[in-house]
Amino acid sequence: MIGPSRVAELDMPGAAVETAAGRPAQSYWNESWERLRHNPIGMAAGVLILIFAVIAILAPLFSAVLTHFQPQSIDLAATFRPPGSTHMLGTDELGRDTLTRLIWGGRVTLGIAFLTVGMALTVGTTFGMAAGYYGGWIDDVLMRFVDTVLAIPAIFLFILMSILIHPNAISLAAIIASVGWGNVARLVRGEVLSVKQRDFILATRSIGARDFRMMFRHLLPNVLPVLIVAASLGVGQIILIEAALDFLGLGIQPPTSSWGNMLTNAESYFYHSAWLVYFPGIMIFVTVLASNIFGNAIRDAFDPRLKT
Amino acid sequence: MTQPLLEVNDLHTVFKTKDGVVKAVDGVSFELNPGETLGIVGESGCGKSVTALSIMRLQRPGRIVGGSVVFKGHDLTKNTEEEMREVRGKEIAMIFQDPMTSLNPVYRTGWQVAEPLRLHHGWDAKRSMVSAINMLGRVGIPSAADRARDYPHQFSGGMRQRVMIAMGLTTTPAVLIADEPTTALDVTIQAQILDLLRHVNREFGTATMLITHNLGVVAGMCQRVIVMYAGRIVEAGPTTDVFAHPKHPYTWSLLRSIPRLDAERHEPLKPIEGLPPNLIDLPEGCAFHPRCSFRVERCSRDTPRLQPVGDTQRAACWVTQSGVELKGA
Amino acid sequence: MLAKYVARRFLASIVVVLGVTALTLALMKTTSGSYVPGIDLNPALRPEDIARLRADLGLDRPGWQWYATWIWGVLHGDFGHSMIDGSTVWSHVADRLPNTIELTGTAILIGVLIAIPVGVIGALRHGTKTDHTMTVVSVAGFAVPQFWMGLILILVFSVTLEQHGLPWLPSSGAYSAVNGGDFFDRLEHLVLPATVLSFFYISTWSRFIRSSMLEVLSQDYIRTARAKGMSERRVVYLHGLRNALIPLITLIGLELPGLVSGGLVVEVVFGWPGIGKLAFERALQYDYTTVMGVTFFATLLVVAGNLLADLLYGVLDPRIRYG
Repeated sequence: MIGPSRVAELDMPGAAVETAAGRPAQSYWNESWERLRHNPIGMAAGVLILIFAVIAILAPLFSAVLTHFQPQSIDLAATFRPPGSTHMLGTDELGRDTLTRLIWGGRVTLGIAFLTVGMALTVGTTFGMAAGYYGGWIDDVLMRFVDTVLAIPAIFLFILMSILIHPNAISLAAIIASVGWGNVARLVRGEVLSVKQRDFILATRSIGARDFRMMFRHLLPNVLPVLIVAASLGVGQIILIEAALDFLGLGIQPPTSSWGNMLTNAESYFYHSAWLVYFPGIMIFVTVLASNIFGNAIRDAFDPRLKT
Repeated sequence: MTQPLLEVNDLHTVFKTKDGVVKAVDGVSFELNPGETLGIVGESGCGKSVTALSIMRLQRPGRIVGGSVVFKGHDLTKNTEEEMREVRGKEIAMIFQDPMTSLNPVYRTGWQVAEPLRLHHGWDAKRSMVSAINMLGRVGIPSAADRARDYPHQFSGGMRQRVMIAMGLTTTPAVLIADEPTTALDVTIQAQILDLLRHVNREFGTATMLITHNLGVVAGMCQRVIVMYAGRIVEAGPTTDVFAHPKHPYTWSLLRSIPRLDAERHEPLKPIEGLPPNLIDLPEGCAFHPRCSFRVERCSRDTPRLQPVGDTQRAACWVTQSGVELKGA
Repeated sequence: MLAKYVARRFLASIVVVLGVTALTLALMKTTSGSYVPGIDLNPALRPEDIARLRADLGLDRPGWQWYATWIWGVLHGDFGHSMIDGSTVWSHVADRLPNTIELTGTAILIGVLIAIPVGVIGALRHGTKTDHTMTVVSVAGFAVPQFWMGLILILVFSVTLEQHGLPWLPSSGAYSAVNGGDFFDRLEHLVLPATVLSFFYISTWSRFIRSSMLEVLSQDYIRTARAKGMSERRVVYLHGLRNALIPLITLIGLELPGLVSGGLVVEVVFGWPGIGKLAFERALQYDYTTVMGVTFFATLLVVAGNLLADLLYGVLDPRIRYG
C-alpha cells in the first residue's frame, strides 16, 4: 500500500510540504497567464470590461468633466432631445442626459454584478468546502439543500422575491446570489473531493494541521482556479438577470438609473425617440458579450482540458 | 507464384501539424498473399497503424501523398470515396485495438454486427440478423441469439473483441486487418483471441494483416513479418528466419529486449537505448543510427534501401548488406 | 429498480415542492405587513370591513396555519380562490397555461429543429468560416437581453413597418381583440415572441450539440463505422448524432420549467397572456392563493422536467442504470 509518494510524505519536513504542495505551483499561474495573454480576443474583452469598470468608478468625474450633467437633474424644457452636441446621446422624457445616466447606470449594473458574484462565491465555497471536506452526513445534508435550491424555478423566484422585498442594490445582489451559489457549491465540493485524495493533504494531516487551516491554507488555493472560472463566466448571466429585473420595475428604482430600468418605459418612445431604446440595450449587450468572451478565455487559460 | 491479393507500393502518408509535416508512412512497400497471415511489428508511432488506415483510406486527417495500394488489380488510392465504401467492410474489414470503445454504445450488438450485411448486400433486417447471430456463434459467443440483443457494455472486453471480429467477417472479406487486436486485453484473453484469429484464417481463408508491437504474438501467428521503424520498413522475411537471424539491428535489439524461453543461455535483457525518433525531424541517413550499436560512418550519411540479405530476408541496413553478421556483446 | 428509483425521486420532489411553496408564503407574509389583497379596488372600505376581509381570507391566522389549510386544499385538488377576483386559481391556470405552452412549445420546437442541424454542421465543418460565423452568432445570442431583443423586434417589425404603411406584425397579445382568434391570426401574434425565445434556445443548444458532436466524432466507434463502409451521412446521423443528442435531452428537460419562468420576461414584453405574466401580475398584487398555485405548478414542472430528462437519458443511453 505504501507507494513512493507515501514514503516521501514521511521524509519531508512539514514546512517543505506546505510551501511545495500547498497550492498550485507558481508555474501554473504563469502558464495560465501566458495562455490568456496569447488570446487576443479574450484580452480585448477583458480590457473592455476594465475600461467599463474604471468609467463606472469614476462616474462623478465623467459627468462633471465630459457630459456636464448630473444623472438625476431634470430639465423639462429639454425632453426627448435627439443625440447632438449638448446631449451627446440625447435626453429622456424628463430631459435627463442619456450618456450621464448610462455612465451612472453602469456603476449600478457592474457594482451589483460583482457584488453578486462575491456573495455567491463566498456562500457557495463555504458550503462546498464543508460538504467536501467533512463528507458523511454533513455532505448529505448540505448537498440535498443545494439540490433543493437548484430545483427552484430561478427566474420565477427572483421575480417573486424582488416584488416582495423591494430591493436596494445590496439586497438585489443577495436575491440573485441566493440561487447562484448552489452551482458554486457543487463545483467546489467536487474539486475538494478530488484534491483531498492527493498525497500532500494526507501529508499535511499527518503533521497535525487543524481543519480550518487545512481548508483555507491548503484546499482553497487548489479550488481557486475553478472559482475564478466560475466567477468570470457568471458575471454576464448576472448582468442579464439584473437588467431584466430592473426592466420589469422590480430591481433598482428610478430616479437611480440602471441600464435595465432605462428601458422600462421604452415602448412609449418607439414612435419619436427610438435612440432611448437602443443605447441601454447596446450597453447591456456589449458588456455581457465581453464578460462571456473573457470568461471563456479565462476558462481556456486555466483549464485547457475544457477547451472546445 | 500466385498473384498477391494486396500490393502496397511506395506508400507515403503525411500529417500536417503545427510544428511541421509528419511523415508517418514514408515509402512502404509490401504484398499480402491470399490466405496468409502477415505480421507488421514496430514501436508505437512507427507508422504501422497509419499504413493499415491508409489501405482503407481512413487515415484522415493524414493525407496519402504518394504510392499505390493495389487490391485485386485496382489501385485503391485512385478510388472515389463511393467506390472505397464498397471495399471497406465488404472486401477489407478492420478490427481495432480497444474493443471497449470501438462499438457504438447505443445500439444492440446484433444490429451492429448485421449492419455490413444490410449495407453491402442489401439484406433485410431479419435475414441479416440470422446471419449475424450465426457469425456471433462461430466466433465463440455462447447463446448468441440472446446476446445479440444485448448492448456492448454488457459484454466483457474479450467478448467485445469477438463481436468486432464477427462484425468484420459477416461479409466474408478477402482481407482482415487486425490493428493491435489483443493489446487492450488480459493475457489469458489475448491467447483466446489469437486462437480465434488463427481459426478464422484457416476456416474462412481470410488473409490477415496482424499489426502489433508484441513480437510474441507475431511468432505464433504469422508466416511472414515486416518490421517498421520511423515510417519505413527496416526488415521483412519469413517469421522463423527473422527471429532466428535478424538482419537489421533494430529487429536484433527488439528481440533482445524481450524474454525468450528458447534462449540458448541466460542472457540479460537489454532495452533499446535512446528514444524513438522525432518524425518531423528525422536523423540524416538511417533513422535508427543514433540508437544503433553497429553503426558505421555511412549510416549517418546515406539512407539504406530495403535489399535482399541472405536467402529469404530483406533489410535496410548498410552493415548487414555488406555481409556482417549481427552479434552482440 | 426503475420503479424504486422513480419512487425515491418522487419523495424527494415532494420535499422540494413543500420547501418552495413554504418559502414563497413566508416571503409574502413577512413583506406584505397588514396589506390586504384587493383593498385598492374599493377605496370606500371601512376599517372594520378590512378586518373582516382579513379574517375571511385567513390572513389573521399565523402563516403555518394558513399553509396547512392550503396544503389540505391542494391534497383535495382545491387550489382555492383568487384573492383579487374570486374565481378559482385552477380556472386561472387552466386559462393561461395553454397560451404559455403554445408559445414555449413552439419556441422549443423551432429551437431543436434549427439547433441540431446548426450544431452538426458546425462540428462537421469545424474551424471553417461557416463554423466561425455560427459561433459568433450564438455567442451574441447568449449576450442579448431577451426583453431588449423583443423591444427591438417590435420597433422594427411592428412600429417601423406600420409607419411606412407596410404589412406589420402584431406586437402584443395572443390574438386580435377584434375579429381575431383564427389560426392565422394566432400565428401572426406568435411570430415575434417565439422568435425571441427560440433564438435563445438555438444559441445555447447549437453550441452544445457542436461540442458534443465533435467529441463523439473522435470516438473509436465512429472509426469502426467508417471501416464498415458507411456513407459519411450514415456515420454522422446514425452513429454520431444519437450519441451526441443524449446530453441535449437533459438540457431540454431542464428547460421544461421555462414553460413558466423562462418565458416570463418575453410574455411581459409581448403582453402574451401566459402563466408567467399571470404570476408576475398577481405577485405584484399579493394575490396569495394565485401566487401559491402558480408556484406550485412551476416547481412541479421543474421537478418533473428533471425526472423526465433522467428517464429519457436512460432510454437513449443503454449504459445508464438507475439505482
